[in-house]
Amino acid sequence: MTDAATQDAAAPFAWQRAIAASIRDAGAEVAVYVPDARLRGIVAALAESGIAVRALTREEECVGYAAGYAAAGGRPVVLMQCSGLGNSLNALGSFAIPYGIGIPLILSMRGTLGETNPSQVPMGRATVMFLEALAIQSFPVSAEADAGPTTAGALALAYETGTQAAVILEPALGGQRETV
Amino acid sequence: MKPSDAVAAAVEAAPGDLFVSSLGTATSALRLASGDGPYLYLGGAMGCGLAAALGVAERCPDRGVVAIVGDGDLLMGSGSLWSLSGLRPANLLLLVLDDGRYSITGGQELVAPRAFAAVAGALPNLTALEAATAGEVGEAVRTLARPAVLLAQIDEPAWPGPSPFVDPHRVRARFAANARGAS
Repeated sequence: MTDAATQDAAAPFAWQRAIAASIRDAGAEVAVYVPDARLRGIVAALAESGIAVRALTREEECVGYAAGYAAAGGRPVVLMQCSGLGNSLNALGSFAIPYGIGIPLILSMRGTLGETNPSQVPMGRATVMFLEALAIQSFPVSAEADAGPTTAGALALAYETGTQAAVILEPALGGQRETV
Repeated sequence: MKPSDAVAAAVEAAPGDLFVSSLGTATSALRLASGDGPYLYLGGAMGCGLAAALGVAERCPDRGVVAIVGDGDLLMGSGSLWSLSGLRPANLLLLVLDDGRYSITGGQELVAPRAFAAVAGALPNLTALEAATAGEVGEAVRTLARPAVLLAQIDEPAWPGPSPFVDPHRVRARFAANARGAS
């Protein structure tokens, strides 16, 4: 796999470009995120395609921003590392979900296969359980060929049904520090 | 100044704007001042009032947007002040109901009350002003260059009245129509 430190930010991986293309094709207008190494190429590809990208201060702020943007008629997408899902649970559970505002979430996994940082493990282990506790469907992606179609499906689900949908970017995709 | 006085002055000064209110006092006061107008009232998600307004402002750059938040809500989401400073939405004013206390839970004092004027004033690109009367609030809403942070000095923290427990789907539908220019 390719380590994040060796990835040229100007040259996203093919799977990152595929995800960005699906986000663009779904009509997303803005991407709000808290930085993560595996997400970097996606954000770069989104910016290349003309979608506004916003690095905000905290994951729950991203969800709050996105809920406001969508409530005003727009199509946002939120990207974060899975640990940040913990920060955003109340914004999802007390705002986006009860208001019926569908927001697609792109989550970069830490704390799972190949993780070497003990501090990342508990939140990574709990990520899907957190989502399930809020009845948010999640769709894992481990292979390049699945990246674009899975993202497209998750965005359609979120935008057309007013529910949350999470794409889980697994370590096998590369772009992080794990050894898989 | 009561919360309802500050919010009524803001609504009167910017009747065509899109209003967003944080949970609790801000939502109750906005419902009272606007006759339950078609605005984005938050019933929960403490700390997300300004974040939601940033999303609205960036989606609707041709509309004025006013975020009304309690100082406790802003403290919890204070990172959004940095986002307000960095994104510089030219259509967004943040009105803070600044009483130094968490009103809805019994008036507990904030850990560092009345500090937002200094914080907002220190951030780039923001216009920050304190208003002691409803008249000053209205004048500031009409004239302040955006993005702006307006601190309404609340010294009569009376509960405005209407319930802050809103129907989320009704709020979303009415606000969407307002944002489209259909109400």
